[in-house]
Amino acid sequence: MAVLSRMDWYDIARTTNWTPKHVTEDELFPPELSGSFDLRMEKWENYDEPYKQTYNEYVKVQREKDAGAYSVKAALERSKMFETADPGWLSVMKLHYGAIPRAEYSASTAEARMARFGKAPGMRNMATLGMMDEIRHGQIQLFFPHEHCPKDRQFDWAHKSYGTNEWAIIAARHMFDDMMTTRSAVGVALMLTFAFETGFTNMQFLGLAADAAEAGDWTFSNLISSIQTDESRHAQIGAPLVSVLVANGKKAEAQKLVDIGIWRAWKLFSVLTGPVMDYYTPLEHRKQSFKEFMQEWIVTQFERSLLDLGLDTPWYWNQLLEEIDSQHHGMHLGVWYWRPTVWWNPAAGVSPEERDWLEEKYPGWNATWGKNWDVITENLLAGKRELTYPETLPVVCNMCQLPINQTPGPAWKVRDFPLVYKDRTYHFCSEGCKWCFEEEPERYAGHLSLVDRFLAGMIQPMNLEGALKYMELAPGEIGDDAHGYAWVEKFRAAHKKNTA
Amino acid sequence: MRQGELAVAVAEAAEIDNPGKEILVEDKVAYLRIQADDEMIIHRKTIEEMLGRPFSMNELEVELSSFAGRIDTHVDHVRFYYSKHF
Repeated sequence: MAVLSRMDWYDIARTTNWTPKHVTEDELFPPELSGSFDLRMEKWENYDEPYKQTYNEYVKVQREKDAGAYSVKAALERSKMFETADPGWLSVMKLHYGAIPRAEYSASTAEARMARFGKAPGMRNMATLGMMDEIRHGQIQLFFPHEHCPKDRQFDWAHKSYGTNEWAIIAARHMFDDMMTTRSAVGVALMLTFAFETGFTNMQFLGLAADAAEAGDWTFSNLISSIQTDESRHAQIGAPLVSVLVANGKKAEAQKLVDIGIWRAWKLFSVLTGPVMDYYTPLEHRKQSFKEFMQEWIVTQFERSLLDLGLDTPWYWNQLLEEIDSQHHGMHLGVWYWRPTVWWNPAAGVSPEERDWLEEKYPGWNATWGKNWDVITENLLAGKRELTYPETLPVVCNMCQLPINQTPGPAWKVRDFPLVYKDRTYHFCSEGCKWCFEEEPERYAGHLSLVDRFLAGMIQPMNLEGALKYMELAPGEIGDDAHGYAWVEKFRAAHKKNTA
Repeated sequence: MRQGELAVAVAEAAEIDNPGKEILVEDKVAYLRIQADDEMIIHRKTIEEMLGRPFSMNELEVELSSFAGRIDTHVDHVRFYYSKHF
């Protein structure tokens, strides 16, 4: 029997729209869940997915991917990577595993929404596969860190974090819930698959894979780059949708959702990816700086994709380009300073030779961020570690949920971007975060940042102990300097040499 | 492309299947970035020749961790492209 080639039957097999007779179109595809932008079903049938795949092919390819990832893990299980890795690198893994795997389940829910409520048949097929991709990502990224739990209970946060009110997780959940679990099928396609997955996931899953390979952690490198092969397929759900929307006069609506998605992803990545690339990854293993990875993946590659699809660069693009020079330095300083409040051990990453690298990659670093680290270093040298812990709360942005910060030094221009909405003052870190709120105030109003909760008396006792209890950080999980402050000794040795 | 046998085969195929185009290959240890201006076509047959074994075009996905612009997937070739020239 002759077998048709896949291209000869794919389109007809996945064209599963029909004319409903017993219910209305709006009952079959409630606008709230479909996000149909008032476009009837037939308009969506022009949606032509570029990355065509059948279920048969999917199963075969995914099996091969999993076989690869699991066999690398099995082969290297006795390699003592955990025992020999730099503590900074272990922190990279802890941060990644704590922030990502359970968000993958949210992503699966988001894909499921497209699989059921997408009006375009091709979108439903791709999203069905995407939904299974994300279940794979959740499971595999919970399984891989599990072997480390008996050695280090901070790895337990791979599973634990998402159910807590730890501050970094509040920030991650706020962003992921915004683009994954609380949007229509079209919203998910634009914000999650297009804005987030064709752009930012490359940073965390490929850029970081390059660092992991340099650091000799092949299990992790192989795992996350394998995950990104799923992403590169299902991320293509968004692009043909943009074409349908632009062709039907809905460009402004599409642009708005994409712009919100990019801005929110940027903010989260400034705390999630920036510090690990420029501070935690051991100096000799840094493939590129965070800024260079941003330029490779976001500025060059993603910006062109936006324009190619008929969208514009977001209105805040210049602001974002400025921030990739500085924002993550502030996030890193904050995370290290408030280190008891995270489930990983932040690596300071500011030994003399690391500071030279930072100055080279970010000219002016020593005269700005370096000044803050000078004070911290002096206090540690003088044996006054207690002065390197915070006594106050940061001011947290009511959109990104991250500390409001700007480059220190003579040009210090830190400011709040407040907004009064229904008798409550909201505080934002930037025009971008304030704008997201203003576009859809009812979506965000009412949410309390961790600091709002503190001030409302919801966290008791009102001190660090109460905060740790609220965030469910148990002894043995509470973060501290990754290298036990050993880096400070390099400065002591240099001082001695200078005074000798 | 994720680093490995297939990535190398694709880099070689890119040279053969895109005559007259400058193919830029950057080694990022975990991945190879294989670049050309505006468009790149890769034929299944060329990959088979480079690998010395049968290859099904959709197996490309096992190592294709990212691509720029748009994609056209076919049984005998794959095309990456931008529709607008800058």
